[in-house]
Amino acid sequence: MPDIAPFLKSLISVSGLSGYETPAAALIEEKWRPLVDEITRSRLGSLHGLKRGGAGEPRPSILIATHMDAIGLMVTQIVDGLLRVTAVGGVDARILPGTPVIVHATGGGGRDELPGMAVQPPGRTLPESVGSDPVPLEHLLVDVGLLPSKVAGLVRVGDLVSFDTAPADLSGEVLSGHSLDNRASVAALTVALEELQPRAHAWDALAVASVQEEVGLVGAQTSAFGLHPTLAVAVDVTFAKGPGANDWQTFPLGKGPTLGWGPNIHPFLHKTLKDLAEKLEIPVSVEPMPRHSGTDAYALQVAAEGIPTAVISIPLRYMHTPVEAVAVKDVQRAGRLLAAFIAGLEVDFVEKIVWEES
Amino acid sequence: MKSLIQKLTETFSPSGYESAIRDVVRAEVEPLADEVRVDALGNLIVRKGNGSGQGRRIMLAGHMDEIGLIASHVDENGFVRFTTIGGIRPQVLHGARVVFVNGARGVIGGERYENWNQMHPYDKMFIDVGAASAKDCPVRVGDVAAFERAFLDMGDKLVAKSMDDRIGVAVMVETLRQLKSTPHEVYFVFTTQEEVTLGGAATAAFGVDPEIGVSVDVTATGDTPKGEKMEVSLGKGPAVKIKDGGMLADPRIVDWMIRSAESAKIPYQREVLLGGTTDAKAMQVARAGVPAGCLSIPCRYIHSPSEMVEYNDVQNAVKLLVAMLSAPVSLD
Repeated sequence: MPDIAPFLKSLISVSGLSGYETPAAALIEEKWRPLVDEITRSRLGSLHGLKRGGAGEPRPSILIATHMDAIGLMVTQIVDGLLRVTAVGGVDARILPGTPVIVHATGGGGRDELPGMAVQPPGRTLPESVGSDPVPLEHLLVDVGLLPSKVAGLVRVGDLVSFDTAPADLSGEVLSGHSLDNRASVAALTVALEELQPRAHAWDALAVASVQEEVGLVGAQTSAFGLHPTLAVAVDVTFAKGPGANDWQTFPLGKGPTLGWGPNIHPFLHKTLKDLAEKLEIPVSVEPMPRHSGTDAYALQVAAEGIPTAVISIPLRYMHTPVEAVAVKDVQRAGRLLAAFIAGLEVDFVEKIVWEES
Repeated sequence: MKSLIQKLTETFSPSGYESAIRDVVRAEVEPLADEVRVDALGNLIVRKGNGSGQGRRIMLAGHMDEIGLIASHVDENGFVRFTTIGGIRPQVLHGARVVFVNGARGVIGGERYENWNQMHPYDKMFIDVGAASAKDCPVRVGDVAAFERAFLDMGDKLVAKSMDDRIGVAVMVETLRQLKSTPHEVYFVFTTQEEVTLGGAATAAFGVDPEIGVSVDVTATGDTPKGEKMEVSLGKGPAVKIKDGGMLADPRIVDWMIRSAESAKIPYQREVLLGGTTDAKAMQVARAGVPAGCLSIPCRYIHSPSEMVEYNDVQNAVKLLVAMLSAPVSLD
């Protein structure tokens, strides 16, 4: 199996915030182009790779959604040369002070990438109500180290600020960096496409790198309507065990992906994936998702007339921080499981679906 | 245009009960449009232009509904308890006057305060419609009401209830009036139920199936004492939305607005709004997705009975929309 780590590292070395995914999309498009028969963009920018199946027309299709957008920051005000910011997606502000960032400045006529730091002002300048708690995002600043007059000429309200933490290999098996949520899943889907190259599959496989998941599942909702697949799987990240985490809401890092289970997930698809994982000796955990799965699956399931949907998740530590961490093995495993699932879909799979709710 | 704004803001139509305002808007747009229809959810859909060559199908959305109250109980003495339609904060309710859709008027009172430093929640307030018993109370459970507050012309600044979003409606009506010709097939959609679910815009966008969506709505400002931490001010031009609490405007729509403003020398502001959203959010996710954005009218004291806008910003918003719709659009 080809090593996916270098591609994943390249994916977490670029920005690509929600609504502005082009830097990530360009890398993914280049990687997928030789692996699929056709590649297009949706009207909102989601990448659609089509790998045609061998069955006759009309051919059923399975959509695999992996969102490519990343969380980050956006400039709301410029105060004495320092930037106030708001979050694009759910940013964990507790860990922001001290984080290296890039300000994508548009005020200078072009696009300038200004290195900067997320900083917190001295405690005595903050309202008393902050006390010794972590400083909320509304009080944090981004410093690009330029004179106020220069900043005023370069940076505008609405400019993006992305994390600039470099990828780090931890112990040779764990990769740390920003935007692993959800570029790790894009890498898993890429593994699946590579695995499918020599294999026959009856169904059309629709590989989707969706936009704007972090701000409301916008890409998945619209791509599902546009592509109208027979089945769908969302691949995303979930909470891995880490310091202080309990055993019943988190999943071990490096011990395989999780299979979501709950009202957002079709029981028959879940069972098929679980049986398949057992057969292939891929370790998996079952992840209860009592309501919203917190993934693109929530939008996929109710698109058009409704789409039977499953969720596969890769355990990840320190979610929505600039130092997320995943085990590369889990990424490979999720990809292998996906490929086997797609290849195993028989033409009449949908007719065989039965509701077995246990 | 001030008399149009007065007429629109002095009409009472909370979400779900838009027929009064729809009649007012319809009378204004009928002589100007190529086609007028009302859809199943009450949206007023007004087409101008046929789209030719490079023309696009563009949907503009300005919502007709306003925030309001709905009666939830009438007690034996005729006092009416209520809940809210849309985002009304209790702070703006004490002493307010309201008008029910059936014409009944009322004032809002509250239970005796135990602690004057703590604002009453809604369930400690009631509407007094001047009744003496449940029997002679003109209001029934489920009747809806809106603020009563006269339009106020301060010269440069205009104040009224329901500027959100009758000012957007006014901008669209005036744009339709001034738009001499367009290469596009433009749907001016006066939407329902924005304040509760964006339901009108969502369904109208499914029906119209536009290639581009632009909402016209109000945005908050940061120009009042210790106000919001945001850059938008009254009087510095209409605001081009980049982000709000519910969506990221499509960067191609942002560019289109800014290019149009700069080439027509119309002042504009860049808007990042921390809370709230508009019909653009619903248009963006309609069908297979629609590149969508919002042209905002800066407005102070949103969701109060005295929402304030600057007349210049309103006129510049019309100019900008006319400029945007008069020329071909490239989204590359």
